[in-house]
Amino acid sequence: MKRWFGIILAVLALAGLGLAQTLVYGQSKLPVTLDSAAAQDGNSLRVAKQVVETLVTFEPGTVNPIPGLATRWEASSDSKVWTFYLRKGVKFHDGTPFNAEAVKFNFDRWNDKQNPYRGNKEFVPFTWVFGGFKGEGSVIDRVEVVDEYTVRFYLTTPVGFFPQMVAASYFGIDSPKAVMKDPDKYGTPEVGIVGTGPFVFDSWTIGDKVVLKKNPNYYDKKRMAHVDTLVFRGIPEPTSRLAELKAGSIQIANNLSPEDLKAVKADPNLVAVVQKGLNIGYLAFHQQNKPLDNLKVRQAIAMAVDWQAIVDAFYGGLGERATEFVPPAMWGRAGDIKPFPYDPKKAKELLAEAGYPNGFETEIWYMPVSRPYFPAPQPIAETIATYLADVGIKAKLKTEDWGTYLADYDKGKFPMYMLGWSPDYPDPDNYLYTFFGPTSIKTNLGCETDYCQKIAGLIQKARVSPDLAERKKLYAEAQRLVHEYVLSIPVAHNNPLHATRKNVKNYIPSPLGSEDLYMVEVK
Amino acid sequence: MAAYAIRRFLGLIPVLFGVSLLVFTFVHLIPGDPARVMLGQRATPEALKRLREELNLDKPLFFNLAAYRKTGDPRRLFDSQYPAYLSRILRGDLGRSIFSKVSISEELRARFPATFELTLGAMVVALLVGIPAGILAAIRKNSLFDLLVMTGALVGVSMPIFWLGLLLIYVFAVNLHWLPPSGRLGIGVSFHPLTGLLVLDSLLERRPDVLADALRHLILPSLALGSIPAAVIARMMRSAMLEVLGQDYVRTARAKGLPERVVIWKHALKNAMLPVITIIGLWFGTLLTGAILTETIFNWPGIGKWLYEAIQARDYPIVQGGTLFIAGIYVVVNALVDLSYGLLDPRIQYR
Repeated sequence: MKRWFGIILAVLALAGLGLAQTLVYGQSKLPVTLDSAAAQDGNSLRVAKQVVETLVTFEPGTVNPIPGLATRWEASSDSKVWTFYLRKGVKFHDGTPFNAEAVKFNFDRWNDKQNPYRGNKEFVPFTWVFGGFKGEGSVIDRVEVVDEYTVRFYLTTPVGFFPQMVAASYFGIDSPKAVMKDPDKYGTPEVGIVGTGPFVFDSWTIGDKVVLKKNPNYYDKKRMAHVDTLVFRGIPEPTSRLAELKAGSIQIANNLSPEDLKAVKADPNLVAVVQKGLNIGYLAFHQQNKPLDNLKVRQAIAMAVDWQAIVDAFYGGLGERATEFVPPAMWGRAGDIKPFPYDPKKAKELLAEAGYPNGFETEIWYMPVSRPYFPAPQPIAETIATYLADVGIKAKLKTEDWGTYLADYDKGKFPMYMLGWSPDYPDPDNYLYTFFGPTSIKTNLGCETDYCQKIAGLIQKARVSPDLAERKKLYAEAQRLVHEYVLSIPVAHNNPLHATRKNVKNYIPSPLGSEDLYMVEVK
Repeated sequence: MAAYAIRRFLGLIPVLFGVSLLVFTFVHLIPGDPARVMLGQRATPEALKRLREELNLDKPLFFNLAAYRKTGDPRRLFDSQYPAYLSRILRGDLGRSIFSKVSISEELRARFPATFELTLGAMVVALLVGIPAGILAAIRKNSLFDLLVMTGALVGVSMPIFWLGLLLIYVFAVNLHWLPPSGRLGIGVSFHPLTGLLVLDSLLERRPDVLADALRHLILPSLALGSIPAAVIARMMRSAMLEVLGQDYVRTARAKGLPERVVIWKHALKNAMLPVITIIGLWFGTLLTGAILTETIFNWPGIGKWLYEAIQARDYPIVQGGTLFIAGIYVVVNALVDLSYGLLDPRIQYR
């Protein structure tokens, strides 16, 4: 009798497990921290994003801003004062109410270095997006609570794309009560985070996994989570992630190698998911190095290399050749730029005209790590060098450790270097200001000529203009000049490859890198 | 013996001090710093300077001559990074990760048991395979078995762990579905470990389901990690055994009519084990500290992978604290191996 009872219990328990849906997500690393404004990597932000929400968010799979914790927003006529109207009746997972005070608390904590609730965090991503902390270049001057559900931001300069800025996944609104309890430990494995999102933080086992549970009291029935338990695991090697997916121990494998596309398609249990990429990989010239300051030399280099062939060879059919620095999935493109043709004969002529009929010696630096925009930096660099050798340019290939690489590229040490970008916030500004803004055009490209100042000026002007149509025109103009003067050569946009088990439905990756997972179902 | 042991352990203090100094110097000599890594491509010189100040990276490494000259106060000479670091360590504080802000002792507490368990697993594999194989190969010198063992040992030493690990995963996890591909416990298993050694904890908490699950997860990484020491131990065991078997006392034992079984397992083995013990001790230390590849492939939440990533990110406190901890373990294991000789071989006397 007793034994029967035990068996019945076991069967019931199994049935219960079958009903409760668990989704295991395999990404390349576990989070570093879940305190989102201190998190600098997609793996941290993806996990935090399920728990904490931003004022403005994006329609899944796109870069179109839609209401998040704010239902609508408006700017003053000069774009210096932005007012956000907040969603009513929202509660944090700890039961405290979400309101204008909570929004102010969060932004003050990030913006003001004297704020007592910063803990030991540096909030570096805040400076990426807003330009610095309060008094040190931050575009946010102060935040005002107008009433319980209205909050107003006073900016130091006009910013036309402020809603896109606060939509960056760094700025998830945390529960003030939870932060105040222990600002130092907030976001670490020990205490986790508390937000308003469709998932609630459950546990984080160091080095092993993060477990989130469905929030049954979520305010928006349409965005209610489908799975009961969401587990994140960090699996560093793409081959291991694919192996785990095949073994069935994870249901979603993020960021696989392009060459695995065939293997995924060949397995009847798996589905390949290609994401629209917002990244760009490019080859830059530092004009402090002669003869790269010569326009004809730069044009020759652009024509000496068959860029399309490189994209075809190294991106596993997932990449596309870049013609501009703003990717096609984003607005603000010139749209009419014709890429340089592959024409080694013309390249030789140009070199001869520039006074280098027999070519010259230079260096190409490539990054030591694989990035989404350059999946195989070394072979790509080797191919570029081979093409250049055909027209007489002898390029030595060099690299150094990634941390050092990032420390050196803007010192003029690299005559030519490969680099790339994935955006912090989806606005052309985040690309063009980063590459060709007034400071970077000098330090990163070593260019102080008139046309460089003009380009930087156009981008600076577009940055502060509240008028979308004007901004579009300015960005198009700037990109045409960048192309004309070959400041750098855009190489490729890569579209990352992910894969799921066949029973996973509604998985929509985000071009921004960290996607919402509430809509995902496991059938 | 006791006096020797005390002296041996006191001798570790200057060693560890030297390690802390070396690690500190080398870590700071690597170009690039955490502020750079954090700010990445968007670093402006002003932002870098501010962040360095915030992270206390702007002070001199050893002696703050500038502050001393300015104030004339000799105490200000030590207002620099290494003295601050040393005094923190002496107070038992290893610091916090620059990026995650998690305290290093907390990370070590969570991760070291995982590495320790994997090392034990790998050593069990190495001993179970290496010692019998070495002995049998020595007894049947130049036989087909001997040839097989020695070839196997060569393959074992030269096979890259990375490749072997992936092979094991593809065969046993992906294709046969016999064993899990990675991790320490299944996702659905809820369990609160006491010590972090899951096999031990599951026994203590009487959870046979957890024990089975933990062991299943342990098999593949232990095989991969144990392959090299198994091969080394087999070769060492074979040559040590051959040497001992040629000695007079073995001949005497045989001459007095002892059965071969007793000659080998009782008389010869004990003496042949001495060099093998040294190797085992060294390998135990090495595995504890250097299982980066195995931990990465099998996604094992140990210290190897953690340290490797910290070096990439220039997370100074983790590299310094973690290395010091590992060096501590390594020298202690070596000291214990030294002391164990006396137990095995009474001729060795410690003074």
